Amino acid sequence: MIGIVVVSHSERLAQAAVELALQMVPGERPRIALAAGAGEADGAPVIGTDAMRVAEAITSVASPDGVLVLMDLGSAVMSAELALEFVDLPGVEIRLTSAPFVEGLLAGVVRAAGGASLDEVEQEARGALAAKAGQVGADAASSTAVSAEAAPVVSADTESSVDLALINPSGLHVRPASMVAMALAPLDATVAIANLRTGAPAVAAVSPTALLTLAARQGDRIRVTAHGPQAAEALDAVERLVTDGFGELVAHTAPIPVIVPSAVEPPVGGPTRDRPLGVSPGRASGPVVRMPDPLAEPVATAALPPAERPAAAVRIDAATAAVSSELGARAAAVTGPGHDILAATALMVTDVTLSGDAKRRVLDAGESPEYAFWQTVDGVAEIFRAQGGLAAERIADLHDVRNRVVAELLGREAPGVPLRSEPFVLVARDLAPADTALLDPAICRALVTVEGGPTSHTAIVARSLGIPALVAARGALEIPEGTVVLVDGTAGTITQNPSEAELAAVAEVRDVVFDGSGRTADGHRVQLLANVGSPSSAEAATAAHAEGVGLFRTEFLFLDRSEAPSIAEQVRAYAGVLAAFPGRKVVIRTLDAGADKPLPFVTMAHEENPALGIRGFRTSWRRPDLLDEQLAAIALAVADSSAEVQVMAPMIDTPDEAADFAARCRSHGLAVAGVMIETPAAAITAPELLTNIDFVSLGTNDLAQYTMAADRMVGDLALLNDPWQPAVLRMMRLAFDAGRAAGKPVGVCGEAAADPLLAAVLVGFGASSLSMSARALGHVAELLQGVTVAQCEAAAESSSAARSAEDARAAAATALGVGA
Amino acid sequence: MAGETVTLSSLVTWLSRFRDLVTENRNYLTELDSAIGDADHGANMARGMAAVMEKVGASPATTADELFKSVGMTLVTSVGGASGPLYGTFFLRFGMTAGAVSEFDGAALSAALRAGLGGVVARGKPELGDKTMFDAMSPALEAFDASVASGGSPAAAAAAAYDAAVVGRDATTPLVARKGRASYLGERSAGHLDPGATSTAFLFQALAESLAQG
Repeated sequence: MIGIVVVSHSERLAQAAVELALQMVPGERPRIALAAGAGEADGAPVIGTDAMRVAEAITSVASPDGVLVLMDLGSAVMSAELALEFVDLPGVEIRLTSAPFVEGLLAGVVRAAGGASLDEVEQEARGALAAKAGQVGADAASSTAVSAEAAPVVSADTESSVDLALINPSGLHVRPASMVAMALAPLDATVAIANLRTGAPAVAAVSPTALLTLAARQGDRIRVTAHGPQAAEALDAVERLVTDGFGELVAHTAPIPVIVPSAVEPPVGGPTRDRPLGVSPGRASGPVVRMPDPLAEPVATAALPPAERPAAAVRIDAATAAVSSELGARAAAVTGPGHDILAATALMVTDVTLSGDAKRRVLDAGESPEYAFWQTVDGVAEIFRAQGGLAAERIADLHDVRNRVVAELLGREAPGVPLRSEPFVLVARDLAPADTALLDPAICRALVTVEGGPTSHTAIVARSLGIPALVAARGALEIPEGTVVLVDGTAGTITQNPSEAELAAVAEVRDVVFDGSGRTADGHRVQLLANVGSPSSAEAATAAHAEGVGLFRTEFLFLDRSEAPSIAEQVRAYAGVLAAFPGRKVVIRTLDAGADKPLPFVTMAHEENPALGIRGFRTSWRRPDLLDEQLAAIALAVADSSAEVQVMAPMIDTPDEAADFAARCRSHGLAVAGVMIETPAAAITAPELLTNIDFVSLGTNDLAQYTMAADRMVGDLALLNDPWQPAVLRMMRLAFDAGRAAGKPVGVCGEAAADPLLAAVLVGFGASSLSMSARALGHVAELLQGVTVAQCEAAAESSSAARSAEDARAAAATALGVGA
Repeated sequence: MAGETVTLSSLVTWLSRFRDLVTENRNYLTELDSAIGDADHGANMARGMAAVMEKVGASPATTADELFKSVGMTLVTSVGGASGPLYGTFFLRFGMTAGAVSEFDGAALSAALRAGLGGVVARGKPELGDKTMFDAMSPALEAFDASVASGGSPAAAAAAAYDAAVVGRDATTPLVARKGRASYLGERSAGHLDPGATSTAFLFQALAESLAQG
């Protein structure tokens, strides 16, 4: 029978472990010797190990069958190794094992008592963690929510792991990655995550940057592997985050600015324009404040002397800590998407992968801290770029981090929006998400950028803040700092040193209030409606005197969950919004999932081309029950309401789809049914579509995207993805002409209706109603009140005959006698 | 003044000075260890070196192998933590290589120190940048050898070794520990001086000071 030696820092620990093991073997037992503690000091036992004691213990249990040595940790291992140098036992094999201390001892004692060989006992001892790993993994799985499809996998003796499916729309992008890292930071466990779809090697879960390199997106399965004392807690923590969708399923009901990092660099060889493009309406004035010039890439310098490297490396920690705490403080000062963007950036700044690699470059190669940090970040950015997709969209954030830290290292003003207390007009080459998250519309009165397009980040942020914005303002950087300018986001103009009268006019129109009745100067009625996506935005719509709702998006009910809401829950939600509009028109759009709004229970896990995939009405092919339930719920809500409810379907292509939808509506007793025109197919076949339905509504964002074959999410395509493109205008006109011929109303809901000039063009085409965000109602009503129907028709005629989007806008402005 | 040879009594002074340094800095070493380890390095080293000097005083050795075998074994049985087997092996190998001599020239001292370093490597399997005592000891021996090779006295070589050990020790601050208890902390171990590298710098400070006394 073999002998067993137990090496531990603590005598009590070793004795208890041996006692536990011996409970299992009532009969014959192997000889067991302890080598625990390091004697006494001042009358107290010293926690530690003593190689001499280990050697003595080995000698005392030596047997021709061999000796197995189990150790707890650290110096126990070293003392045992050293002890082998002290013992002289020819013919006795002494084996140190990496088996777990308690479990290995128990399993080893049991096997040894049965007379097993040294090999067999050691193998048993080393495999002793498998049972615990299996048990703990199974517990984690049983607490899993249904949608996560958790499957415990025991991949190695000492590791436990769990497979999880990502259900949140954006996968492991920066905020979820940061959440994982933060959740794991306090736990004593080493955790790695791999993306099973790509099969790439697992990365350290404590590094958000490394997690981003996984390119894990919605529908991907990830394998989370953990070892260490708190491995089980770590797996639980990650699993909770994944199954909760990282809180995103809720957060998506609030608008999150779309980040278009590629807009940072101007499109090469793409279309250019000479005049600014107004992308957010309104007029404002103030002195110009310039964004600080971007940092130049630090140049490589002579290697630092080795003696100076440690101090230089430490400066990187100081700089990242300073930048992180500043961003953290600014994050604390804002709420909503701005807070999340800043908090995520702050975390990225201190990411150990970035600072650790940079410090290593300083220590090993003697690079300057700023050069090392810049190069390190660019290396990571290159990996992101190669991966494409979500990781590539984070490159602008990485560069933001890089610039802030390098500015700190160089003692320069931090890049980003300068802090001012007096109102100003911000002029920049382009704006990054971390810049715009901080904009205070009371201080920053207007945005002017050299780069960007109508769907760029600048445009989206400006519209959500309700401040005017111009993009593609080529000469803006030449305007001296401090020059007072007047920015007209409606007309797309910037005026330097405006007259007192012009400034006074700005002051007057700054707060345009809609009086609740849309009309032209000559009294032609145009319903001005609001887009509503939640009960709270319904309140904003009534506060802004909207005449009704032209687009009631119902996705908010579906986005924060993994299964569809019940009919009863839907009825309550619909009734709540309808109650805000007694006697008014409310157009309810049925569920528009897919593309940028994936839902786990209706859309495909991931599609190569989601904008051209199963989305909108197409989701009802797979889940017809969801559409029928929704129509039933709408019918029940309508029965209790005085609102004039109409129902429409998104993403319709063919007359048969329109007829199918209308028939379903009618079977639920819903009298007025329509469809959206978002595809060229629908616009071209509008006359046929209208034979079975009561109205159509133009979704101009998607219609522009599909007409121009230009992805709305790609900043470089912004100039193509413009509703002013004559091709898009002519596509719209097909629908308006069909509506006029059929005597049925054609409305517009989409960004185009919120652009006052374009709204006038749409009225000229024959739009019966325009639906927009409540904030835009005043500006659109104001412009329409100043023009006649004849002017609108002339604007429609000349703009759709134009050669370019720029010319179309100019032609409309001329016809309407507005600016430009 | 520093001579060209090193006597056994200088080496006893080395050990005694090392004991003084780790005893004076006991709280400092423990404080360093509490940041990234188990907060016992100061106590362990002070206890171990006190036991060493007690033993050396009780039965004075006449040759280097005798002296350092005693030192190594005493450390192994009295330190408790990982520094027991590490410093213990260092001195055991030092003594084995030095042999039954009572005087060293620079080359002999270098060879003994090298053997000690080899013992540390055998025991802990460290690599540069693991944030261990090796990060101070390895550059110290490089500097020692370079000084001897260019004709420096043992005292000059020890002074150079001490300077290099300090640089190596300071360079451990930003490192992430990859060995020892601190490695369980992962990235959280960065930003702290390594206690083992710090006591090793004391070892070379003691050597430099004792040889400077001649």
